[in-house]
Formats: sequence, structure tokens, C-alpha cells
Amino acid sequence: MTLPLERKIQVGFGLALAIVLVVGAAALRSTTATVESASWVAHTLQVRADLEAAFAAVIDAETGVRGYVITGDSAYLAPYDSARATLGPLLAQLGTLIADNPVQQHRLDSLQTLIPIRFERLQQTIGVRRTRGTVAAGLAVMSGEGKVLTDRIRELIAGMRDEEGRLLARRSATLAARTREVRIAVAGGTVLTLGLAVVASLLVGREQARRRQAEAALRPTQARLEHVVASSTVVIYGNEVTGSSFSPNWVSENVTRLTGYEVAAAMDPAWWLEHLHPDDRARVLAEIPALFTQGRLTTEYRFRHADGSYRWVRDECRLLRDASGTPREVVGAWMDITEHQRAQHALRESEERHRLLFERNPLPAWVFDLATLKFLAVNDAAVRAYGYSRDEFLAMTIADIRPPEDVPALRATVAHTDASGGAGGGTWRHRKKDGTVIEVEITAHPLAYGGRRAELVLAQDITERQRAEQALRASEERFRALAASANDAIVSADSAGRITYFNPGAERLFGYAATEATGQPLTILMPERFQEAHLAGLARYLATGEAHVVGKTVELAGRTKDGREFPLELSLASWKRGPDVGFTGILRDITERRRAEAEIKARTAQLEAANKELEAFSYSVSHDLRAPLRSIDGFSQALQEDYTARLDEEGRSHLRRVRAATQRMALLIDDLLHLARVSRAELRSAPVDLSTVAQGVVAELRQREPRRAVEFVCVDQARVRGDPALLRVVLENLLGNAWKFTAQRRPARIEFGVSQQDGATAYFVRDNGAGFDMAYAEKLFGAFQRLHSAKEFEGTGIGLATVQRIVHRHGGRVWAESAVDQGATFYFTV
Amino acid sequence: MKDKVILLVEDNADDEALTRRALAKNNIQNAIVVAHDGVEALDCVFGTGSFKEAPVAPVVVLLDLKLPKIDGLEVLRRIRADTRTKLLPVVILTSSKEEKDVVNGYGLGANSYIRKPVDFGQFVEAVRQLGLYWLVLNEPPPSGTPS
Repeated sequence: MTLPLERKIQVGFGLALAIVLVVGAAALRSTTATVESASWVAHTLQVRADLEAAFAAVIDAETGVRGYVITGDSAYLAPYDSARATLGPLLAQLGTLIADNPVQQHRLDSLQTLIPIRFERLQQTIGVRRTRGTVAAGLAVMSGEGKVLTDRIRELIAGMRDEEGRLLARRSATLAARTREVRIAVAGGTVLTLGLAVVASLLVGREQARRRQAEAALRPTQARLEHVVASSTVVIYGNEVTGSSFSPNWVSENVTRLTGYEVAAAMDPAWWLEHLHPDDRARVLAEIPALFTQGRLTTEYRFRHADGSYRWVRDECRLLRDASGTPREVVGAWMDITEHQRAQHALRESEERHRLLFERNPLPAWVFDLATLKFLAVNDAAVRAYGYSRDEFLAMTIADIRPPEDVPALRATVAHTDASGGAGGGTWRHRKKDGTVIEVEITAHPLAYGGRRAELVLAQDITERQRAEQALRASEERFRALAASANDAIVSADSAGRITYFNPGAERLFGYAATEATGQPLTILMPERFQEAHLAGLARYLATGEAHVVGKTVELAGRTKDGREFPLELSLASWKRGPDVGFTGILRDITERRRAEAEIKARTAQLEAANKELEAFSYSVSHDLRAPLRSIDGFSQALQEDYTARLDEEGRSHLRRVRAATQRMALLIDDLLHLARVSRAELRSAPVDLSTVAQGVVAELRQREPRRAVEFVCVDQARVRGDPALLRVVLENLLGNAWKFTAQRRPARIEFGVSQQDGATAYFVRDNGAGFDMAYAEKLFGAFQRLHSAKEFEGTGIGLATVQRIVHRHGGRVWAESAVDQGATFYFTV
Repeated sequence: MKDKVILLVEDNADDEALTRRALAKNNIQNAIVVAHDGVEALDCVFGTGSFKEAPVAPVVVLLDLKLPKIDGLEVLRRIRADTRTKLLPVVILTSSKEEKDVVNGYGLGANSYIRKPVDFGQFVEAVRQLGLYWLVLNEPPPSGTPS
């Protein structure tokens, strides 16, 4: 079937209509026939009923008459009367009923003749009876005439009835045939209609399915289209053109997103112009005529959003004309280009920034062509650093700034970089214009430059850095060697308290191998009771910088690998490198020192006790040894005074010797006490001007022996730190000695001065006196040692011992240079 | 001048004799009361003990430091602590020239500190000057009047 659906439906409807008409006609005909047949049947039945009634009336009349005949009772005549009354109308009715049938008409005519005759006979009988009585009447009846009449009537009625039955049968058959026809027609029509309906419904169903399919196929496309328009940043609009005025007739819903206004607002003819930026209005309006001349227009302007801000929009529209060329409609697209504008601006800024980044970069930078190695661009720093002008650079290749021997490697590297497309780098030697070769670290990135495959290079001069690194390495090696050979343990740790360095000294001290200890927490080196304080201290130092141990020397306890504890001395330093904090500690086992200290303490206590004893002893000596001397001397003098007359010269001489000896003894005691005091007196420390002291001492000596002519030379301002009283004792002794031993000299000369001896400042007292033999220099400073007889020079031999004791107590030393009769020089340091 | 009593605190009999001799040689005729230890010295000064019956009021005390029972510095301290005697001239006359003795002696209010020289001649000279100063030149404080 190639007919279109509409045609098919029309044909289908035509067919269906025809069938319905045919079936309807058939049904109408059939129904009419049926009604006719049915009325004929009713007619027949009426006829037959009337015939029966007529016959019954005849019989009733006969019966009644007979009853009367027999009885004479007139009551029996009632049926006869009613029959006579009914028979007339009955027969008339029959006449109308069978008027159409001549056969029956004929018979009815016979009946109408016979029945009155019969009734006449009966009337006669009745009359007979009444008049003649019963027998006569009976006879009349028995004559049989009446009976013949009645039989004849019966025959006629039966004939009519049969005729009507025959008619009924014939008519019923006709009705049945008609009914059958109608049924067939209706059934056939129905079947046909049903068939058509099925076909039609199939067709319609198929068509509907096809339509649904098409709709389903169309729906996503439509949804997509709607979505595209709705989600598009481009607003589509239409404007009706009337003459030269526009009025919006359609705008896509996403206008709300672009402008913040609803579609309804945007449809207001004044809306667009009102929201156009005042600064852009004149320009845009001036552009509109071009739309009419060229048929299209693209323009950009600022448009006020509902939130008050202005957005940059691009408006592209086109004019549609009708067949006559009259402008009808403007359709256009409208999009927000604010971001685009901003991006454009940002891009321009970024480009400028990057250009500056290159131009003003403090590191020399250039771009070179990967194919030709020619410089394509160089920055200011490169010009400054390499000495070539920009033009000189641009006339060279990058090989020209290399020492010739490096060029092959350069070409190979560039070729490789070119092939791999990767970024280059590394350390290279560059040659400046003045021939200086520098070490540079290169960072290179491939880029397209003016359509050429090029590479951007940043060069950092690391000559100095490398030198510094080498120096640092050397220094580091020195320190490492130092640390490795140090007797002390040296341990470094990071900020987490983990060991990062463990020298051989530490290995010996703690029993761990360096490989074992490295990476372990420092706590493995300390007894458990110290660990918490260590961790807290470390955390505090890292958090606040507050150090309890760093930068100091403290005594702690250490723990060896086998768990042995020992006292140690730790000096800890922290160092910072970038964000890292590290610690280096020097540790020393002080078990031995602790023991020595304890010993010293004990000895000091002993010494102090001994000193106390000595003090008590000296005190006794000064009192008790002198008392007897005083007695000896005093009473010797009493003897000399009171008994001199009784003594001879020898006796008096003896007494003089006794007294001299006691004087000498007293002197010895005093000097000994002095020596003892010097040894144990508390040493004070104060600035002392030895020159002043020396001059004072000499002045005293001159006062004591004004007759002596001694030349004294004294250096100025020999300032030292020491005990003023004891240093005075030193000078008293040395100058006193000089004074004493120059007694025989004319002129006598004494000098106090300063000289450098073996790198130390030595003070000296020099005289031109008797001097001494250096062979005995050893004995010079011993107590009671004398190099001269008392007869030659008086003295106890304790003075120089005292000097030595004082100088030693000051941490200095004392020595002498001399020769017999050549004078002497006594040096001391403080 | 003779009624001015000198209290010599000295436990050594030789020294006592020599001191007496030195005083005599200088023609110092004053009465000399000798106390042989610190207790006796204090009894004499305060009129207690054996001096209770016959109190003496020395005008000057020659005080040795090394004494039995109570040593010289303690005697000096007690003399200076008492209002009656705190102005009494006290001359320390001793063998010691230990600095601490000198410092303590003056610190406790000694009027002079003299070291007995071994040489008797020098001793006589010292005593002479001492007597001259304390017995002749010095104007003693008002007797017994607390200031």
C-alpha cells in the first residue's frame, strides 16, 4: 500500500459507510417485513379466533334451545339470545378481516347465509315448543334439518380456519426467510465492519507508534536545543522593525543571566537604550544605520546589569527583509564579553610583566635559536655581565661566548636538547668579551620565539660560589679531620635530637660504632633519668630559643653501650642552617678529673689544717721564742751595767757576744715569721705601680743611710696587677740587697726597669755591686742560703727566699744574672 | 706623779723584771701593780677579787696579749665595754707583731701598740717614751666619770 495514510483513512471510512448503509437498509427492510408478517400472523389468529367464537355461539344457541325444548324453562334460552346478539358483529368483523382474500370471502358469504337460516330454525323450534309443546318441538329437532345446517356451518368454519392456517404457515415462512436474510446481512456487515475496524486500528496504531517514535526522537533534540539556548551565554533576540523603529518581539530566557532582568522587562521597547552605558550610547546609535545599509552589524558596548554594574557585551545582529525588500525584523545574538575584555587586559599586562621579567632580570638571560645557535634576544644583565653590547650579542651565536674547547660539547648538548625538546641546564664555562672565563650555572627552557624553535637561558655566575664551596669543602675536611682525630667525643644531632655525626672519640667513649649511633636519638647516650629533661630542654630550645645548656659547659652523666654510667663534661653549640637547627657537642669523660678534684679537695683541706697549725706555730714562735731572747739580752745588759767592774775584759767580750747572738737570733725569727706570713697570707689582686713602690723603697733606704750616695734609675709606670703589700716586700728585698751590695762602690748605681725576656714582661733590679758567682745561682733563693759571709754583708739569707715565694705565688718566676764584682741583675715576672 | 699607778699585765717574770728595770732606768717612780693573768688584770681594774679590799685605780695599763686564763685582747674588750674604764689608757706591750694582733688591738680601742724589742736598750728607750707620754704629757680622762 503506497497510499498516504490520510487516503487510506478516507477509503476506510468510505467502505465502512457503505457497509453500514447496506446493513442498515437490509435491517430496515427486514424489520418492515417482519412487522408486516407479524401483523399478518396476528390477523390470521384474529380471524381464527373470530371463527371459533362464531361457531361457539352457534353451538351455544343450539344447546340452549335444546335445553328449553326439553324443559320448557325459558332460562335455557339465554345463551341463544346472547349468541344471536354476538354473531352479527362477529361476522361483520370477519368480513373486514378477510376482505383481501376472495376465497375466504366467499366462504364467509356462505356462512352469513347459513347462520341466520339456522337461527331461524331454532326460532321455529322455540316457537314449536311454546306452542306445541315438547314433543312437537322434539320431533322438529329430530327431523335433523338443524343438524345438517350446523354441520354445514362447521364445515365452512373449519375450511376457513384451515385456509387461515395455510396462510399463516406461508406467511411465517416468508418472515423466517426475511429474518434469515437480515441476519446474514447484519452479520456480514458486522464482520466486514469489524474487519475494517481491525485494519483501521492496526493502521492507526502503527501510525501512532511511528509518531511516538518520531516524537521521542525529537524530544532530546528539542531539550538539547532548549538547554543550549538557556545555558548559552549568548542571548538570542528578535526585534520587529517598523520603519526605523524597533520593538522587541522575542528574547531568549538567558537574558536574565546576562542582564539580571526578566524576559518581560527585556521586552520593554525602552529597556535596551535605557541600560546602554551613557558613554557608549551615541557611538552605538551612530552605528545602527550601517545595519540597514549592510544588513548586519557587530558592535560592543557596556550594558548596565540589574545589580548596577556595567558588563561589556558584544551584539551581533542581522536585518531580515520581506520579499519586497522592506526591513521586517532584526535578529541578533548578544554575549557578555566582560571576562574576555578582562582577560585581554590581563594578558597584555602579563605579557608586559614577562617582558620586564626578562629585560630586568638581575641574572643574564637570552634566547637563542636552537637551529643556528644565534642570539635572538638578550637582557640588560647579560649586556652588563658579558661586556658585549646588545647589537654585538645579536650578531653572535652562543658558541662565541664559550672557550673554543667547550664548543663541541655545547653543540652536542644543544642537539640533544633540540631532539628531546626538554629543558637544558648544568654548569658551563662562559667567556666574556674581555676574555675572562667564568663558571655559570645554566637554566634553560625551550620556547617558540618568533616562530623559531628557541631556548630561553638564564645564566648565573657561580665562579665565586664555587670558590667559596671549595673553601668550604676544604674547611669542612679540616674540621672533619680534626673531629676524627680529636681525643674528645664529638657528636652532632639534628633538631629532632637524632645523631648525625659520631666521631671516633665518641665511639671510644660510648662504645657504639658511628654507623650504629647515627640516626639514633641522643637519649641512647644518657642515663634514663636525664632523658626527660633532655627532651624537654630540646623542645624548649626549638620553641623559644631559651638555652640552658647551649653555649655552656656543663657536667652531666653519660651511658655507654653496655650500660655503664660515667660523669662527663659537655660543651654544646647550636648552629642554624636555613630552617634547620643542629647541635654539636664535645664530650669528655671526667671520671679521672672528678677523682683528681676529690683528691685536691681532700689535700686542700689537709693543707688548710696544716696552715692553721703553722699559723698557731708562728704565733707561738713570735711570742715565745723571743721572750727568752729578751731575757738573755736584758739581763746581759744588766750584767754589763751593774757588774762591769767585776768582769775582766774577756768576760765583757763574752757578754757582748751573747748580746750580739741574741740580736741575730731575733732577726732570724722575724725573717722566718715574715717568710711564713708571705707564704700563707691571702693574695689580693689590685693594680700596682711598681715604679712608685720602688721609688718609695729607695727613699726609705736613703733616709736610713743618708750618707750613702747611690744613683737610682727608675722606669716610669711599671704597672702590674698583684698584691700591693707583697710586691712591696719583693722590691724592698731586691732594692735592699742592691743597696747593701753596692756599699763598696763609688759611685753606686741601682736601676729598676722593664725588659722583654722570652716573650714575657720581666721587671728587674740591677746594681753595680759585688755580684756573685753564677755557679751558686741555684742556692740563691733557698732559705738561709747566703753567698756572702755575715762579716762581708749582714743578712739572714731569707730575703730572696721570700722574694721567690711571693713571685711564685703571683704565678711569675724570678732569676738572677751576675758575675763576681760585675754587679747583679734580678729579674721577676708577675 | 708617784700616785699614778701603772698596771703591768705580764705573766713572764723575766719580762716583769726587765720592764721594772726599764721603768726604773727612766726614773719612773710610779707604783707598779703587776697582774699575772687576765683575771687578775680585770680584778685590779674593776676592784674585784684580790683587789676588792685594796682597790687601785691605774692611770695606764701595760697589757701583754699572751696571757693565761683570759688573753690580753679579751681583757681589753672588757675594759672598753665597761663605762667606768672605757676611757682608761691601755698600751699593748707584746712580743707579737702579727698584723692581726695589731689590727685587733687597735680595733678594740688600744691607745698604743708597742712591740717589745729583743734589744734591751731599745726596750728601755720605748719604755721611756711610753712613760713620758702616758704619765707626763697625757691629760688623763676625768677619773671614774663616765662620759
